[in-house]
Amino acid sequence: MFKVGSKLFLGLTGFAAVNLVAYVIFVERLAIGGVALSIVFAALVGLTAAIFLINEGDSEVQPRDASLTRASMWPLVTAVGLVLFVLGLVVAQVYFIFGIVVVLAALAEWMVQAWSESASDDVAHNESARRRLLHPIEFPAIATLGLGVVIFSFSRIMLAISKSAGAVAFVVAASLVLLVGSLFALRPALKPALVGGICVIGAVGIIAGGVAGTGAGLRAELVEAAEEGHYTHRVCGPEKSKYFDKKAMKTLSLRSNVAAVIELRGGKLTAEVYGFSRAQDTISVPRANPVTFIFRNFDDAERRMVASLGTARAASVPGDDEDESHSDKSAKHETCTQLIPQGAEQGLTITYNKPSIAQEEPFTLSVPGVDGQSIEVLVP
Amino acid sequence: MNHEGTKEMVKGGGFSVIRVMSRRVFTRATGAVAALFVLGSCATDAPQDTWQPKGPNAEMIDDLQQPIFAVAGIIGIIVFAAIVYVTWHYKDRGQPIPEQTHGKPALEITLTVIPALILAVVGVFTVRAIFDLARTDATELVINVTGQQWWWEYDYPVQNEWGITQPIITSGQLVMPAGTKVLLRETSRDVIHSYWIPALNGKRDAVPGRIHTLRLEADEPGIYAGQCTEFCGLSHANMRMEAVALSKDDFAKWVANQQAAYKTPAEGTLAKEGESVFLNQCVRCHQVSGLKRPDGTLAIAAPDENVWSGAAPNLSKLMTRNTFAGAMFDLLRDDCRDDVWKAESAEFGAKYLAGVSETCLNVSDIRAWLRNAPAAKPMYANPALLAETNGKYRGMPNLGLSESDIDKLVAYLLTLK
Repeated sequence: MFKVGSKLFLGLTGFAAVNLVAYVIFVERLAIGGVALSIVFAALVGLTAAIFLINEGDSEVQPRDASLTRASMWPLVTAVGLVLFVLGLVVAQVYFIFGIVVVLAALAEWMVQAWSESASDDVAHNESARRRLLHPIEFPAIATLGLGVVIFSFSRIMLAISKSAGAVAFVVAASLVLLVGSLFALRPALKPALVGGICVIGAVGIIAGGVAGTGAGLRAELVEAAEEGHYTHRVCGPEKSKYFDKKAMKTLSLRSNVAAVIELRGGKLTAEVYGFSRAQDTISVPRANPVTFIFRNFDDAERRMVASLGTARAASVPGDDEDESHSDKSAKHETCTQLIPQGAEQGLTITYNKPSIAQEEPFTLSVPGVDGQSIEVLVP
Repeated sequence: MNHEGTKEMVKGGGFSVIRVMSRRVFTRATGAVAALFVLGSCATDAPQDTWQPKGPNAEMIDDLQQPIFAVAGIIGIIVFAAIVYVTWHYKDRGQPIPEQTHGKPALEITLTVIPALILAVVGVFTVRAIFDLARTDATELVINVTGQQWWWEYDYPVQNEWGITQPIITSGQLVMPAGTKVLLRETSRDVIHSYWIPALNGKRDAVPGRIHTLRLEADEPGIYAGQCTEFCGLSHANMRMEAVALSKDDFAKWVANQQAAYKTPAEGTLAKEGESVFLNQCVRCHQVSGLKRPDGTLAIAAPDENVWSGAAPNLSKLMTRNTFAGAMFDLLRDDCRDDVWKAESAEFGAKYLAGVSETCLNVSDIRAWLRNAPAAKPMYANPALLAETNGKYRGMPNLGLSESDIDKLVAYLLTLK
């Protein structure tokens, strides 16, 4: 009654049932994981029932002929996967996940190979059966992996070289792809080996470039920006950053969500609020919802805009959670843009959590060195 | 079983009876559905009817949809008639299969060009209407609109020309002057919502992190109903809104009243006791501007610390509105509400500005709300389900108020005018 296939699927169904029960008891009853495991269990029940119904094709299990088997690398790969799996439990989640993937893939390959070797007495037929079953999975998986490595390598190159060199490299790479693709299309009689060789050379070149790029590290501009920290300008000191969003309104995120554009022109500070035909000297913004101001400096000198935020509890800016200087919620605080030159602009995102009536002093936007000019931010 | 065999079975015995019965049922069902459609178009109490524009923006949409509907209707009837004719005329009666041909270039080109031309004409007028509706020039009044689960907040920035010298904040009902180009600046605090007052304009999504604009203009004073039209969670269907258009004089009165100072209830009254209950229970989330604690400090609500969206309706002038709980419930009893809704334009302003009196208060709904809000409006109120929101509520929780506290609160809320 129980043959190889039915034993395997009965075992898998039992394993799925145990997983499902354990998940429901120990994790969460209504979680999406429970639904997924239920579906896996139901599918396996169906497959097992189908196997019993067809009686596994009435095939008799033949004693395995050792001459039909061949050396397999899958036990070794499974072992490596298991090591990564255990290592990941201690070191890092990424090893753990990678280990699981490797183990599952290797077990699947191993299982299908073992099955195919006992399918018939003809080695060629057995190999063909294995290919027919696994190639539709192996080829897309290997192609995805290969393309991923190439794309990742290319990104390392682009991060290592300068911005202008990056543009040139991109144009050259795209042109080469177009050229070689056109050549393949125009010459369909080209030998497959030649086509494969050209592709491999291109991929290896990019991967080598990626390795070199990783070795060289990020370009200086990116390193400096990372070291500087995105919110360091908030201390509103004399520091001046070389790298900041010089044209903030060019970025889609800021263009679509600007509460007001604050302009410094001729020593006067004004607020342009979308919807109002005239410049405003107060801005109303909703409570407990992030708002973005753009500061534009048309003054000769380098200027920054400072937002007075009352206490840290009254308003917050991105990064407050990890900023120890704002742990005292009753302390007054402010935020600001960087010092920006004439013609530049920069965005500032603030969440006003408390209404203006809760503040002893109003929320304001001002520019140090420009006296008597400030925009009041009203939070109803 | 072959085809002939089936035919014989159908002709004789039980199959023919079943076929006749199923045809009768089908005919009746089709007739019933058609009758429902026809009867549905006869509804008179349909405040969200898209075919009754009450302002220039909605009229622009109506001017576009009327001819398109007519053209689409005529084409639909022609196509439907052709399908019925072909299905009936060429049904299988055992006749020989006609000669099969392939390709009629002239017919195919004609049948491609005609719809393309129709769509091109429709496209030209549609694009023009889209651009006209997106205009924001000549705006006369700006109102910020913020959506959250499951209510709308309106705040009016300072606009001295309208007498708004400090921001006004309200919810549920958008109050605006009639005959005025009003620009809504919409956004959301949590998920995507969509603002739609069918009688005044089309829909516009309120998206977190973005500000979208929508122009409204009402020809006449009156109340225009709307509905959130982007699925936004458990009580999406209960997220309603009403736009109240007042004459400019009446709007000025409304503005003045909204900016008037808070009046604390007289000592020794039930309302004064209700103020204490409010300070103990409600002020955690709901702001009443000017309300002070017994020690003289201003009572500042902290919805940012208690509510997932970071906001709860400001109740400063609650009884000047006609609705509560995201406009799901009326503050007015049915007869009083009808009196306002069905008032003539000239009388509407005075009736609306009268607000909610003790005799007109919809006591049963507001008491039910205070008794157990989540029972009245689904709002993820189960504390066990708050882990994902850091313990913050989505909507008003059950406060466990006693009947005595509810009496006091109702008395207090009635003073907020």
